[in-house]
Amino acid sequence: MNRWIALFASLAVVSCGRQDAAPPAANSGPPAVRYEAHIVAGTTAPNGVELTNPHNGDQAVAQKGALMFAAMNCDGCHGGDASGWVGPSLSDQRWRYGGADSEVFNSIYYGRPKGMPAFGGTLGADGVWTLVTYLRSLPVPTTVPTESWDDH
Amino acid sequence: MLLFSRAALLACLGAGTLLGGLSQAAGRSGPAAADGEWTMPAKDFASTRFSALSDITPQKAPSLHPVWTFSTGVLGGHEGQPLVVGGVMYVVTPWPNVLYAFDLSKEGYPLKWKYRPDVSPNAIGVSCCDTVNRGAFYADGKVFYNLLDGHTVAIDAASGKELWNTLIADVANGETVSMAPLVVKDRVLVGASGGEFGIYGWLKGLDVKTGKVVWTARNIGPDADMLIRPDTFKPAYDAGVDAGAKSWADDTWRTGGAPVWGGVSYDPELDLIYYGTGNPSPYNPEQRVGDNKWTASVLARKPADGALVWAYQFTPHDNWDYDATGSMVLADLAIGGKSIKALVHFDKNGFAYTLDRATGKLISAEAFAHVTWAKSVDLATGRPVLDPDKQTGLSKGNVKGVCPSLEGGVSPSSPPAFSPRTHLFYTSTNNLCMDYAAARSTHLKGTPFIGANSPYMAGPGGNLGAFIAWDATTGKKVWENKEEFPSWSGALVTAGDVVFYGTLDGWFKSADAKTGKVLSKFKVGSGVVGNPMTYRGPDGRQYVAVYAGIGGDWALLAGDVRSDDPADTRPQADFIKNIARHTSQGGMIWIFGL
Repeated sequence: MNRWIALFASLAVVSCGRQDAAPPAANSGPPAVRYEAHIVAGTTAPNGVELTNPHNGDQAVAQKGALMFAAMNCDGCHGGDASGWVGPSLSDQRWRYGGADSEVFNSIYYGRPKGMPAFGGTLGADGVWTLVTYLRSLPVPTTVPTESWDDH
Repeated sequence: MLLFSRAALLACLGAGTLLGGLSQAAGRSGPAAADGEWTMPAKDFASTRFSALSDITPQKAPSLHPVWTFSTGVLGGHEGQPLVVGGVMYVVTPWPNVLYAFDLSKEGYPLKWKYRPDVSPNAIGVSCCDTVNRGAFYADGKVFYNLLDGHTVAIDAASGKELWNTLIADVANGETVSMAPLVVKDRVLVGASGGEFGIYGWLKGLDVKTGKVVWTARNIGPDADMLIRPDTFKPAYDAGVDAGAKSWADDTWRTGGAPVWGGVSYDPELDLIYYGTGNPSPYNPEQRVGDNKWTASVLARKPADGALVWAYQFTPHDNWDYDATGSMVLADLAIGGKSIKALVHFDKNGFAYTLDRATGKLISAEAFAHVTWAKSVDLATGRPVLDPDKQTGLSKGNVKGVCPSLEGGVSPSSPPAFSPRTHLFYTSTNNLCMDYAAARSTHLKGTPFIGANSPYMAGPGGNLGAFIAWDATTGKKVWENKEEFPSWSGALVTAGDVVFYGTLDGWFKSADAKTGKVLSKFKVGSGVVGNPMTYRGPDGRQYVAVYAGIGGDWALLAGDVRSDDPADTRPQADFIKNIARHTSQGGMIWIFGL
């Protein structure tokens, strides 16, 4: 219970801090992403500001992200180990909307079609980066890509 | 890691005329000449799924073979069933809820028309458990059905043109619509799913001609919201004034769930509709102390104005996600030398209940599946006798060995059938148990409100499912066909004394209604989670139709049956390792004949 209250306190801080952890490049044009999930028309990718995860590889933040993944009901759609439920698996290192940090950030911050809510307003940028850090820490299931039932 | 909740969601179903034999009480769905048709989800207002057609007998059934198939072009779980009226077959797909009308009088059954509604994809993520639709209802030259994103539509059966389209539910607040409507007199009755999103559950009565919402009845909350009036509300077990609010800690009823995603039944003589309500939200019961009336209950209302006449709660203070949205079958049964106007219900909680459908008084409740959460049901009080060791909640930690699992002793998605000839009920069952670790959950609009981690394991015997025949007058199983996988299809029984069902790994079977002996089986294109139905074709022959298309909960629980998205590859589930070896997604209509 105490941990619950503590987590909520920290989430509140995250949430209150969203003004200074500004949404992506609010003042400098549209966000640039690597757009690995997209094709570029011609040879020139759109300009913009590259987003980088301020917590990249930080295991303490990843653990906090695991708690947030449950507290913000992400698990209700994506499964407790993010291995997929009504929403897609987030643990197979495969991504509908691109797997660059900035693309995963945008999916959570702004939401996606088919029912992924926009969490940016509730979590703020740092909260979203905390979730990205957690997702990056997950092990990939051994059955990706081949699942076998060979009897021999 | 108390906070680490893993959603093991659940489950999300269908509705009836007794012909001959036992009773006319529920009324016929049409003139005798129409017996070869199937106009409503569960065949008749009584929800019997019994057809008087008798060409297919136990002697002839072994020669059943597929005569036609059609891909719906949709991959979601194909629950529900086709309708056949006037030589036309009507089929509703899962999201995006296309309605097809096939001309059965022409070779190859070409389409007369198809209706393609604009259904919001946002509803996909707000559906607890796949994008299922449990079917349409035909009345007065119109086809009525619900769209996943919270609309009810009326379509002209001849032309396929939309006549009206009414917004009934709010996707942004966790409401989606998967149930099949029931049309009684001048009302279209509809309800919303969302027991995993903390909705304030309801049933609505729409005007059949205009689609206008005439009344809205909440399933929980204060008497005024529930359309409870002292002069009309006479429950057999009195719960007091405003029980739908007072049986909840604080005002937790406001986000207390009680969805409607099963079928609605109707008794024209009593002029009562019957439907079940789903689980209370969230799954962690310590966030909603009290009985949580009227979740996990059956409610009897007047169709014209929605007034509640009686209610009975199967699982007070549901700790286990035991929705009561399964079919309410109306049958007149000989019990103790008397003919009883009964309502029979196979509940997720593992008990088969027989109630007096005029009063809501409990007559019997016997386990049809392996049950550990309760020892029995006290007939005097109507309440279960609980096993204290199987009560769940955040403070209880990980409670082991709860049976049935929250998939239910039977899923409400798998409606039973009743034959007035054999006097038996036929139903799919699941043989799964679970551990249940509740977790604190936050209500955050538009996101799941659950709070439980509940891994499954096989129940006694190791088979994960079975198809059974059940005698409701004695509370005993008459025969059982064990299945390797959970049994998730609906049941169909005919006057030929043949029963039909499908399996999760894709076998469509016919069996002798008296003995259970399997008479025919054919491996259809995908696992069967739909409900077989039968009709007489324009050529005068009896046919049986069923959807293939594994999904519903199994799109989540066995995510490795999905191959549609390279960015979404799921590991196999440890309690059902082999299912993806035998089947994968894909919606198809199959028609069988002799």
